Amino acid sequence: MVLEATMICVDNSEWMRNGDYAPNRFQAQADAVNLICGAKTQSNPENTVGVLTMAGKGVRVLVTPTSDLGKILACMHGLEVGGEMDLAAGIQVAQLALKHRQNKKQQQRIIVFAGSPIKHDKKLLEMIGRKLKKNSVALDIVDFGEEDDGKPEKLEAVLASVNSNDTSHIVRVPAGPNALSDVLINTPIFTGDGEGGSGFAAAAAAAAAGGVSGFDFGVDPNLDPELALALRVSMEEERARQEAAAKKAAEEAAKEKGGEQQPTSQDTAMTEGPSASAAEANEKKDDLMDDENALLQRALEMSMDGTTSSHDMRDTDMSEAAADDPNLQLALQLSVQEGAKEGNDMSKLLADQSFVSSILSTLPGVDPNDPSVKDLLASVQNQSEVGFVHCFELSMDLCGVEHLEFYYLVVMGKISKVVLRRRNVLL
Amino acid sequence: MSAESASGIQKGLVDLVDFIDWSGVECLNQSPVHSLPNALKQGYREDDGLHLESHADEQLLIYIPFSQVVKLHSIAIIGPEEEGPKGVKFFSNREHMGFSNVSDFPPSDTAILSEDNLKGKPLILKYVKFQNVHSLTIFIEDNQAASEITKVQKIALYGTTMETTDMKGLKKIEDH
Repeated sequence: MVLEATMICVDNSEWMRNGDYAPNRFQAQADAVNLICGAKTQSNPENTVGVLTMAGKGVRVLVTPTSDLGKILACMHGLEVGGEMDLAAGIQVAQLALKHRQNKKQQQRIIVFAGSPIKHDKKLLEMIGRKLKKNSVALDIVDFGEEDDGKPEKLEAVLASVNSNDTSHIVRVPAGPNALSDVLINTPIFTGDGEGGSGFAAAAAAAAAGGVSGFDFGVDPNLDPELALALRVSMEEERARQEAAAKKAAEEAAKEKGGEQQPTSQDTAMTEGPSASAAEANEKKDDLMDDENALLQRALEMSMDGTTSSHDMRDTDMSEAAADDPNLQLALQLSVQEGAKEGNDMSKLLADQSFVSSILSTLPGVDPNDPSVKDLLASVQNQSEVGFVHCFELSMDLCGVEHLEFYYLVVMGKISKVVLRRRNVLL
Repeated sequence: MSAESASGIQKGLVDLVDFIDWSGVECLNQSPVHSLPNALKQGYREDDGLHLESHADEQLLIYIPFSQVVKLHSIAIIGPEEEGPKGVKFFSNREHMGFSNVSDFPPSDTAILSEDNLKGKPLILKYVKFQNVHSLTIFIEDNQAASEITKVQKIALYGTTMETTDMKGLKKIEDH
């Protein structure tokens, strides 16, 4: 994003009629000029670019440094090819044009397209280069077109005399299948001095290369910051989830049936993966365990000894199960009636001690007379609706995973889930 | 001369380094490593290890704008014996000069630096020309030993401000 004023010196000599660059040298040059102008103005809106021609009747400034891209593109249109290039004069006029730039804070830069042979001698060019350096003007040279004997040396000599701190560059573009502009895009002429590329350059490079721009997720943060951000956030979430799942797996190994419960209604963020919800539920469990730790530990040990059922059966058929248990039928009816209502009614249900104990008695592995169970129930009734959910999870731990799932879901009045979980109870 | 005038602080003169508008300070043909702040800024200029050096050839063009209008009394340019500046031209209130137009108009003052000057004796400038200075341009034309590189250790500007006279800076004249 360096604030810069650039003068582009275009070679419109007779040598540019040659077709070794598609479609001809001059056209390739014009495309490159257009691209450079775009890149410069995009990298910093206050940048100015000017264009002059070196051949023809003499050095002629087509447009003085301006930030108006349209003006620059228009002046490139309808240029005539002819005459011979005068490099020294071209550079000197460019320097003069830059000297009279409006914004003195801009850094000065000249970009020269050297397509024809150079008739000046090395000494003169070196002197010009030194003058540029003295006035802190940077110089970029695009060596293309004619491959003269002394041309590369001369250009290297100019570059050496101008270069201070690597602000000046030279690029050699041989004739070939690649367009001049494509080759230039990857050079420091476009990307600036070690900036790493403006968004324009990076995007153009990506388009040209047709693929990986080197950014994470293959999305350029410059082009689409929101998408890049969303991708990054979801990656982190996934990672966190996986860590939690790993943690949960470790816990499960210790506690055997840690539980794979449904996401709670409160937990809106959790929508993916049973592992994630299990991890979350586990954490909740951990929180509440602080209160009734000793009791629950004992209870868990009991349940681990007691239960034999596996997790595997999940999707089961309701109908055959329904017939077996009158209690279940009652529960289902209640659920149907109270499907619309929320926890308050459920609390009344739970307050009904008899109902609760009758349900509990159907669940294998639970002894309603167990003091710990009684304590739990007492606490359940006293707590708010929010507490219910947690308590149910606790009681689930108490009695064994599948049973508790069923239990919990009956309370919340969701029939479909009752169907699924019921089967597990029976098993 | 007394020790006090040798240091340049006399008769209410202030070191104008505080009034330099740093955002506009420019130096043409300076070496990227050894740049102008080394010679101009408080602290840097006292450091013997830091100095200003020229780059492509021995000339230097220094442009110093001030944050307010000042009266310039004298300048001290300190440098090494050999590569220190010799011919110096001062231009008052000329914006953005280049090496090409130094000869276009007469300087406000010129000086040839002697060895004493390079050690710290300030150059007294022409009073009338520097009463109303908004910016100062120093053109260092050549150096003592006519070497390729010119080195400057310190540049100190002494004068008074127009808008407020800094009362703390006013000192009693100790010798007459």
